[in-house]
Amino acid sequence: MSATPVLDAEPFRDADLKKGSRFWLSPWHLVLLPIALVMVLPLLWMVVTSLQTLNETRHYPPTLLPNSLEWNNYRAVLQEAPFARWFLNTLIVTVVVVIGNLLFCSLAGYAFARIKFFGREVAFVLILATLMVPFQVIIIPEFLIVRRLGMIDSLGALILPNLAGAFGIFLLRQFFRTLPIELEEAARIDGCSRLGVLFKIVLPLSGPALATLAVITFMWTWNDFLWPLITIYNPDHMTLQLGLATFQGAHSSTTNLLMAANVLSLLPILVLFFVAQRYFIRGIATSGLKG
Amino acid sequence: MAASRVQRAIASDHTVGWAFAFPAVALIMIFGIVPIIWSAVISFQRTNLLSPPVWVGFANYKALPDDPLFKQSMVHALIFATLFVPLSVAGGLFTAIALNRPIRGVRLYRTAVFVPVVVSTIATAVIFLWVFDPHFGLANWLLAKVGLGPFGFFESPNGALYSVVVMTVWGWIGFDVIIFLAALQGIPPELVEAAQIDGARTWGIFRGVTLPLLGPVTMFLVVWSSINALQLFDEVYLATNGGPGTATYVPVFYLFRLAFLQGVAGYAAAIAYVLFIAILALTVVQLIVGKRMVYYSS
Amino acid sequence: MPGLTFDHVTKVFAGDTVAVDNFSLSVKDGEFMILVGPSGCGKTTALRMVAGLERITSGTISIGDRVINDVSPRDRDIAMVFQNYALYPHMTVYKNLAFGLKQRRVPKDEIAIRVKGVTSMLGLDDLLGRRPAQLSGGQRQRVAMGRALVRQPAAFLLDEPLSNLDAKLRVQVRGDLKRLHQRLDITTVYVTHDQVEAMTLGDRVAVMSGGVLQQLGPPQDVYDLPVNLFVAGFIGSPPMNLLRATSRDGVATAGDLSLLIPGLADGEVVVGLRPEHLRIAEGDQPAMEFHVEVVEPLGDGVIVHGSVAGQLVTAPSGTQAVLSPLPGERAELTAKFEPTVRPTPGERLRLGVDPAKAHVFDARTGDAIARTG
Repeated sequence: MSATPVLDAEPFRDADLKKGSRFWLSPWHLVLLPIALVMVLPLLWMVVTSLQTLNETRHYPPTLLPNSLEWNNYRAVLQEAPFARWFLNTLIVTVVVVIGNLLFCSLAGYAFARIKFFGREVAFVLILATLMVPFQVIIIPEFLIVRRLGMIDSLGALILPNLAGAFGIFLLRQFFRTLPIELEEAARIDGCSRLGVLFKIVLPLSGPALATLAVITFMWTWNDFLWPLITIYNPDHMTLQLGLATFQGAHSSTTNLLMAANVLSLLPILVLFFVAQRYFIRGIATSGLKG
Repeated sequence: MAASRVQRAIASDHTVGWAFAFPAVALIMIFGIVPIIWSAVISFQRTNLLSPPVWVGFANYKALPDDPLFKQSMVHALIFATLFVPLSVAGGLFTAIALNRPIRGVRLYRTAVFVPVVVSTIATAVIFLWVFDPHFGLANWLLAKVGLGPFGFFESPNGALYSVVVMTVWGWIGFDVIIFLAALQGIPPELVEAAQIDGARTWGIFRGVTLPLLGPVTMFLVVWSSINALQLFDEVYLATNGGPGTATYVPVFYLFRLAFLQGVAGYAAAIAYVLFIAILALTVVQLIVGKRMVYYSS
Repeated sequence: MPGLTFDHVTKVFAGDTVAVDNFSLSVKDGEFMILVGPSGCGKTTALRMVAGLERITSGTISIGDRVINDVSPRDRDIAMVFQNYALYPHMTVYKNLAFGLKQRRVPKDEIAIRVKGVTSMLGLDDLLGRRPAQLSGGQRQRVAMGRALVRQPAAFLLDEPLSNLDAKLRVQVRGDLKRLHQRLDITTVYVTHDQVEAMTLGDRVAVMSGGVLQQLGPPQDVYDLPVNLFVAGFIGSPPMNLLRATSRDGVATAGDLSLLIPGLADGEVVVGLRPEHLRIAEGDQPAMEFHVEVVEPLGDGVIVHGSVAGQLVTAPSGTQAVLSPLPGERAELTAKFEPTVRPTPGERLRLGVDPAKAHVFDARTGDAIARTG
């Protein structure tokens, strides 16, 4: 069964939804409703708690609906910790890493897919090998390398090692190979350079694959924790996850502020998720079906 | 003539190919291949990452079997994986089947199931520290309503690891659901129709057609989830910090502390490699068993 | 007792698309019935309603004397061959064939006997251990048929089963199908868009367009006496030439052709001439001047494209009943001659028409006009 249809088609066939949805009364609601509640309840309660006073949080049984909406919590959080800074750091790192991956993995992926060059097979096998090795094996030496480059405690430490990943090269190479080679051959006969073929012919046809890579890289980079934990110490250089973790360490008992901080850290990616839900889902689905 | 030879060389595929591939390959060499090799080297040394390292041969590896903390963390990782993988994969399949129905509001249900995947591990841990708070948390309150509890969750030496299981299943099951849902929708409807005409009932169709065709995807998810389960770190770091005591020590957490908090990096590298080999062995076993099962199931 | 009956069956899809409109048809027990028509004419929908894969909006379908509207597919005692075969990819040929029997709890030894019977009939004995991916297109098609036949159903449904085969294989399998049906005598409903298949395979042919049954009858009758312009233009290859004509005083005039048709009413008509019924004019047959343009030798005949004076008309398709004349002063005409005739491009011939073989249709409704000649 081919996996490419998922990449091109709508993530989920909703045509069935139109055909007679008799189904307010379907028994499946009894199954889905509890599951959905379990998924959503912790998040809702987080939001509720973030708007409570400290006393309310120390109340048992827990108050589900806050009596007052303490928007002040958010202001307090923003004053106590450099959230805006953390957000900016994470944004810079993530955007640069995503762009880097799109650029370098396209170039390399195309070379591996279409250009015969000396040592190509060996290089590709080595790259695949890095996919097999888990992160914890390389963190110690990677730390040492980054330190020798003088990048410890800077955003560069978060950006440089991740600018090109084996995953992206593999994904794009596989995708490029599914495109009809005649298009590229026609362009070259018309006088286009290899670079031109890549940027004018291949990449415009690779929208779904590039979007997938962008989304997956974004999510992974945005949520990354262990690497920033090892390399960043200055609170001004922290990413959102790292900052949140230190915030939690300092405010473990002021739950309402902690929840507010959590909400703030989640807002950007939740907004992105709701706007680009289709690409998130498509991205995860393809990586699964191709794996 | 030399000029055209140079021109030809510049334009040749080898040059262009390497020009294209160089940035990515160089980055992966420097930050991937080199560390892999270097890590092995470090595992034969004693170093605190500051002073010059000392060569100690296999000493680090020999010390592992006598290290109770190492054995504990491996056991914890295995318990965790043994619970996490079936729960998230089977639960994911079940949920995906339920979500594959044309009922009203299914889009809302789908979104609800997917959202936790986007929530970072840290944010998840922060949420669950609160939900699982023994005194003021939502969990104990709800459980009391059905006559259970109260539980210590992250603060209970016996329950902490299982609480981590619950938290991570919550955070990751959506991933399995998405993939299963895509696979289910990739099953050609004629196959289901043919099975219906052949006389199969719902369960017969599921067992005879749907499940076998989901074999490869299920195998992928089992392997993928196992690999990730054995590499657990973020949630443990934030929710329990390995505790209470050492009840939730897992290998990556242990080696992180050793290398970056206690200056015992050589030993940590050895642990990392042993874990890597364990993961590799488990994956190979799973693939062999899986290939056989997928073949026989038809 | 009829094998299968459609009784005023209508199917309306969401969005108010009428796929099948008041369709009534009675398939005799053991008959090979063909539903033929262009894409979208409703034939596949009709078939799927018999299978139970589409719900029936109104009307009833019966197998034998049992109304099966609300019976689930598995209990209808039907078997189906899908266009793409729908073989279970993860099962061997044997398991594919046995699946339906297993579901109905047929004992293992009986399954073995029945499967063996079918495979020897279809020549699949050596392929039992293979998976669909390892089979050729023709072999897959036979396995699909075997899967249906092994169930010994009351009705056998086929959805364009030959369309994925290459031309040579198609001809061969066509013959095999016919032989199979003669031997097994199962009530069969066969859907195709290919009118050659329809003509060669069917006991009777049901021509459909726009969800409506246009004509029902044995293949030769449908060929000889099409009831309207659609059927006339659809059945027969190369298709019938349709010329605009005016009829006055029993004479229909199209360009320089004058046909004497006693009893023909005055008005606008369409004259239909099959290419194979056109000859070089002899004696004082009604004739027209034909300018040869393209000559296509076939070996067993020769197809000649050219033009005559007059106006051509397109056969309606889909739901169109009204015809639209094509622009231009001359009408393009196709003729089919014996191989001995060797016209050359640019040549001018006189084509003769046998009035008994000419068809006349009402220009407004498209219906055939009954003649006494």
